[in-house]
Amino acid sequence: MFKFSRKQLCIPYAVFLLFFVIAPLVVIIYYAFTNGKGEFTFNNFTNFFTDSNTIGTLIYSMFISLVTTLVCLVIAYPVAYILANSKLKRKSVILMIFIMPMWINFTLRITAVKEILTAIEGNLAYYPFLNTIIGMTYDFFPFMILPLYNALEKIDRRLIEASHDLGADGVTTFIKVTFPLSMPGVISGITMVFLPVMTNYVVLDMLYNSTYIMGSLIGSYFNAYDWNNGSMISIVLLAIILVVTLFTNKLGNITGENRGATL
Amino acid sequence: MIRRTLAVVFVILMTIGMGLFPVSAEEYEDSDTIILRIANCEEYIDEGHWGEDEVIDLESGDVFGNNPMIEDFENWYLKTYGKKVKIEYSTYGTNEDLYNQMTLGDTFDIVCPSDYMCLKMMDEDMLLPLSDEFFDKSNKNNFYVNGLSPYIKNLMETTTINNRKWSDYSAGYMWGTMGFVYNPKKISREEASTWKLFENSKYARQITIKDSVRDTYFGVLGLLYSDKLTSPEFKNSKDYNKKITELMNDVSPETIDKAEKKLQEIRDYTYCFETDSGKSDMVAGKTVASFQWSGDGVYTLDQADEDNFYLEFAVPKECSNIWCDAWVMLKDGIQNDKEKQDAAEAFINYISRPDNVIRNMYYIGYTSCISGGNDDRIFEYADWCYGAEDEDNTVDYPLGFFFTGDESDKNYIIKTTKDQTKRQLFSQYPTSDVLDRCAVMMFFDDEENARMNQMWINVRCFNLSSVPLFDWLIALGIIVFIAVLVTVIVFRNKIFRRKRLKGFKRIS
Repeated sequence: MFKFSRKQLCIPYAVFLLFFVIAPLVVIIYYAFTNGKGEFTFNNFTNFFTDSNTIGTLIYSMFISLVTTLVCLVIAYPVAYILANSKLKRKSVILMIFIMPMWINFTLRITAVKEILTAIEGNLAYYPFLNTIIGMTYDFFPFMILPLYNALEKIDRRLIEASHDLGADGVTTFIKVTFPLSMPGVISGITMVFLPVMTNYVVLDMLYNSTYIMGSLIGSYFNAYDWNNGSMISIVLLAIILVVTLFTNKLGNITGENRGATL
Repeated sequence: MIRRTLAVVFVILMTIGMGLFPVSAEEYEDSDTIILRIANCEEYIDEGHWGEDEVIDLESGDVFGNNPMIEDFENWYLKTYGKKVKIEYSTYGTNEDLYNQMTLGDTFDIVCPSDYMCLKMMDEDMLLPLSDEFFDKSNKNNFYVNGLSPYIKNLMETTTINNRKWSDYSAGYMWGTMGFVYNPKKISREEASTWKLFENSKYARQITIKDSVRDTYFGVLGLLYSDKLTSPEFKNSKDYNKKITELMNDVSPETIDKAEKKLQEIRDYTYCFETDSGKSDMVAGKTVASFQWSGDGVYTLDQADEDNFYLEFAVPKECSNIWCDAWVMLKDGIQNDKEKQDAAEAFINYISRPDNVIRNMYYIGYTSCISGGNDDRIFEYADWCYGAEDEDNTVDYPLGFFFTGDESDKNYIIKTTKDQTKRQLFSQYPTSDVLDRCAVMMFFDDEENARMNQMWINVRCFNLSSVPLFDWLIALGIIVFIAVLVTVIVFRNKIFRRKRLKGFKRIS
């Protein structure tokens, strides 16, 4: 007789994982290391690092990611800090205002941003890079502010009071106590903005930046039937994501325990 | 107990869910229904449900799209031939998507790719030739062969691959040219009637270009060879059209390199490379000109008309591309099933019936390859759309070349407003001098395609060598700064370790 246990509730997810994560990954790895005829080859791998297009695109994508992450961080940190320290009773409501855009599909939001930018700039095509950064920042801002707020909110007030009692002024307290304690939030915010931005080509497409980033480059290879090189770029990108994640995890471990700041 | 009940309910639900699919498949097998798998471009056939004010009231009777045409065909086939046919209709985005789908194992019976994809499929021996019965003019239900425009017929018969005629394998559906939709208040017709518009610095960053390798490559060749193509010697030479076709299908490495260089320059002059947004940006007045296929041009002009915004359409004076989407039957899907082939050919004939042609043209906005033969309803429809009564301000616009093959045929002249000769009518039915300079773009083999795709990637990717040294230094500075910052944070305990006081033990 069929015996039901709680473990079996995982079966749907396991099946999902098998079909939509593991199986595609195997296929991608297969294509990455074969040529058009199905023979094993490392050529795709060497292509990636010898082709100035892929390297250029990688650098361009990383640069966009870097700038977006910095802008997000610089804008989000003060807001999160003020919000976390304010004595307002309905902090969560204010926080919700920041998160609310996430409830609407991002392509719709970018369409709106496009119209606003057109109204301000007159012709979008003159500032493709600036537009990209604005669009990306708008898109990923909530992903930065949430972990920051969570981390700042959980800081034990007594530690800050202790710092003041020991004679530290506001600035010193911030540098020596608050900021280091909020590092888990900063790191998880960076992870959640930096990595997705690298492949988020829809924002570039919609804001008329005609330069490819990693996402569009992979797409262009697949559209041109070149699945092998496309898969290899995906694999390298996956490796980069893995390295960055491991690195930030390590950073998180060093700077303090993870206080549930990740989303 | 509750758990067990839940589990039992789960199992039952799952069994029912899994059971549904085989049940419906069996239902087909049991009956004599012919299943026809059709794949077509998105929004490329009348889907019915027109509003009541959309009746096309021609003198010879009203045309109205009540039900989707697919449903109408199923009913018509049952009534005419007494056989049940069930259509499995699916859509795809681009020709390449369709081809990819088929190589991945999807099978279709009848599909509607563009000219070059038809030829590619012919070359790869994927297609079933149309049957002799299909070309039998005495059968009054053979609407296609009885209604095909002589102009398109000639085009399809003279286009060959491996000594086989395109027309033997494909039935034309919609056709058109390429050109520019432009705003005459901002830019003159003359400036918009040349491929040189791509690099006209007066309109820098105000022109959209298609994000499609083939179309843009064609345009760039037109630009590169502009002077040659417009020179009188070339224009008056024998086999003028043949020469254009040759020139515009040149995909040798040297030509591709030249095109790549040109595209790198053009890139900085465009508003953007677009797949779909070009039309709405044009209507919104954000751009002054937009590179479009003629059918999309009509759509753009119609949309602008609704906002009382006046736009026009021009075809470059050097040359243009004539494209034609056509229905083809696939060996793989039809196999040797005669009944299926009959149904597929009947489908082509049904959508080539003049009233259905009008429905599709109204719905899609493109121009059908069918002129109607002895049935004048399609010409009547063109007149219904573009004809004008006012004697003083009208001009004669001959359509004879399309309807009878004779340009001067007096029965096929539309009296229309002067504007229309530069607008929808012109983009739907270009004049014969435009068609003289139109070339079919052939399919390219794998190697040539790879070269073209690589060129497009080169154009679109961030060019490292274009970055000045100074920027490199700044970037390097930023990276070093971040690296130092991270290192300091990671190893701050080691760097800033205070001197240990004597007598204390370090607790770790």
